[in-house]
Amino acid sequence: MAKVLLIEDDSETAEEITAELSDRGFEVEWSANGIEGLDKARSSRPDAMIVDRLLPGMDGLTVIEALRKEQVRTPVLVLSALGAVDDRVRGLRMGGDDYLTKPFAVVELVARIEALLRRPAESRETTLRVGPLALDLIERTAKRGDRVIDLLPREFRLLEYMMQRSDQLLTRAMLLEEVWNYKFVPATNLVDVHMGRLRHKVDGPDEAPMIHNVRGAGFILRAGS
Amino acid sequence: MDGSDASLLTSDRTSGRQDPMRQPQFIRSSTFHWALAVSAVFAVFVIVLFGFIYWKIDDYLTARSDRVITVELDGIAGLSPERRLEAIDEKLRQDPRGVQVAAIFAADGHRIAGNLESLPPHLRIDAPAQGTDVVRTDRNSREHQVIRAIGRRMRNGDVLILGRNVDEAGEISHVVGQALALGLLPGFCLCLLAGAWLSVRAQKRVEEVNQRVQRIIAGDLSERLPHRNVDEPFSKLAVIVNGMLDEMETMIHALAGVGNDIAHDLRTPLTRARLTLERGRTNAATLEQLQAVADKAIAGIDQSLTIITALLRLAEIENSRRSSGFGDVALHEMLREVCDIYEPIAENKNIALQVAVRHRRSVRGDQDLLIEAVANLVDNAIKFTPEGGKVNIELLQENSETIVRVTDTGCGISEQERETVLRRFYRSDKIRNTPGVGLGLSLVAAIVKLHGFRLAIHSGAGGRVEIVCPDSQQA
Repeated sequence: MAKVLLIEDDSETAEEITAELSDRGFEVEWSANGIEGLDKARSSRPDAMIVDRLLPGMDGLTVIEALRKEQVRTPVLVLSALGAVDDRVRGLRMGGDDYLTKPFAVVELVARIEALLRRPAESRETTLRVGPLALDLIERTAKRGDRVIDLLPREFRLLEYMMQRSDQLLTRAMLLEEVWNYKFVPATNLVDVHMGRLRHKVDGPDEAPMIHNVRGAGFILRAGS
Repeated sequence: MDGSDASLLTSDRTSGRQDPMRQPQFIRSSTFHWALAVSAVFAVFVIVLFGFIYWKIDDYLTARSDRVITVELDGIAGLSPERRLEAIDEKLRQDPRGVQVAAIFAADGHRIAGNLESLPPHLRIDAPAQGTDVVRTDRNSREHQVIRAIGRRMRNGDVLILGRNVDEAGEISHVVGQALALGLLPGFCLCLLAGAWLSVRAQKRVEEVNQRVQRIIAGDLSERLPHRNVDEPFSKLAVIVNGMLDEMETMIHALAGVGNDIAHDLRTPLTRARLTLERGRTNAATLEQLQAVADKAIAGIDQSLTIITALLRLAEIENSRRSSGFGDVALHEMLREVCDIYEPIAENKNIALQVAVRHRRSVRGDQDLLIEAVANLVDNAIKFTPEGGKVNIELLQENSETIVRVTDTGCGISEQERETVLRRFYRSDKIRNTPGVGLGLSLVAAIVKLHGFRLAIHSGAGGRVEIVCPDSQQA
């Protein structure tokens, strides 16, 4: 069972997050301020942390910097107010951490925590495999069983990202940020259109579907039915 | 006793300390201090000038008197010894003011003739004219006098001395002093008066401005600073500040308008969500019905959040001064990327999306923001173009300007609407039923402005929007 440390000063938000994560099988520990949170991060060694940007006592980013100085590499998801996303917050993604702007949907938070906990390991594999799907990263070819799938470059990129994170919920925002490198949410349902095309190619008419749409949340690539 | 003394001392000291406070305000003003400093410099300058004049005149008079006595000495020395005595007597007789000194002494030092008591001890004989200390016989009290004199030994051993009292120098210094008092004192007073006047005037204007500003702070946005003629610095400043106030007043009014728009646009989905929840709470009988109600309510709240997100994003871009994050953005690659992303969407609507890049051009800018701007334009173009239409993205080079042009075969923007489309939340009546929050073009405008580019919206059938990058912006 993965242990998550939540550092958030608003008790109601914290309660909601704790309840949702507990339902999903996480063990959640909660601190209401930065100093106490830092102590807990040191003592209980969580697998992941959710840290509010603005905290009484000690700023959320300062907590993270303090931990990093002590060589604690626990992945962190920072919660930031919309207007307060600055270069320091943006820099988190470069370091393998993540941030989410308030207000956010709970599914988005859970998806991102799971993504942080299951960061794909640096792999030397040149072929990705999920169930019957095989993606050759050198030849740039895709196969489902013996059937060759003809992919456009952008579809290849999308499938590669999904195969690296199979059985994980990928939200639209995550896909926009990671696959298309979009830093904003476009007005049109871009992701759905692209995903629809990819699904059309990956899941043949008489094959078991592998790409699943999770209503109101995002998409999952599953190995088997 | 001690205590009362101390209290007296204290009260004295406090009253003493308060004294400067009671000074008229202008004395403490910097204008007055400047006037005082300038007056002092002026006074020093005048004193030095007069001193120089005095020194020069004194020098000149001494030199002239030296020349005169040297010439006279030469004349008398050329005479025979008897004629010399006569000449000296003659000379002294013709000097009622008693400024002349003339005497002849025998070789042993006793006086033969003239008005000097004895041979001046410090006078160097056979040297040029010099200042020396003498005692005269024709004065009551054998007073010492400092005169200019010259002495020469005659061929028979006698010593002839001629001199002149140069007391004129004293007179000159008197005159110079008078002139100084006459010129300097009124000048100094005038300077101080002018300083005080300027200072009082400036203080009055500052006070006037302060009153107006207080009124502006209190909320009277239409108040302006006073200004008289435009050629005076203070008035110029007032005109500049008034210009700023005009701009701010317009902005604040615009902001108030935006506030109303926001309130309206946020209230609509929230009202809908509230109604749905209210009705659902009373009417829903099954879990499925309740879930449907919740979904509807969440959708309403999400729409409000979308609006808030867009607004905050807009504010973020408008307030950001970060050009430090600017780099070279290859527009040709960027346009292909945007086209690539939107192609499936256009295809779904049976719209032909094409990108035409004739030049490879780079500009200095923020890659993420520029993609956002172009994506917004393309998004809009696809949204407002009916099925079977066309959307073109072009990169052009015209009149040393780089232009990103997005054209479509949609309804276009009318001449009247051209200005208003940039307004927040503005949505043309023609497109009331198309989804969106009406902030897209405002966002594009903000991004374009941040980069120092220009947004050109062409009216007429078919939409045509351009981002114009002046050449100086090119990498």
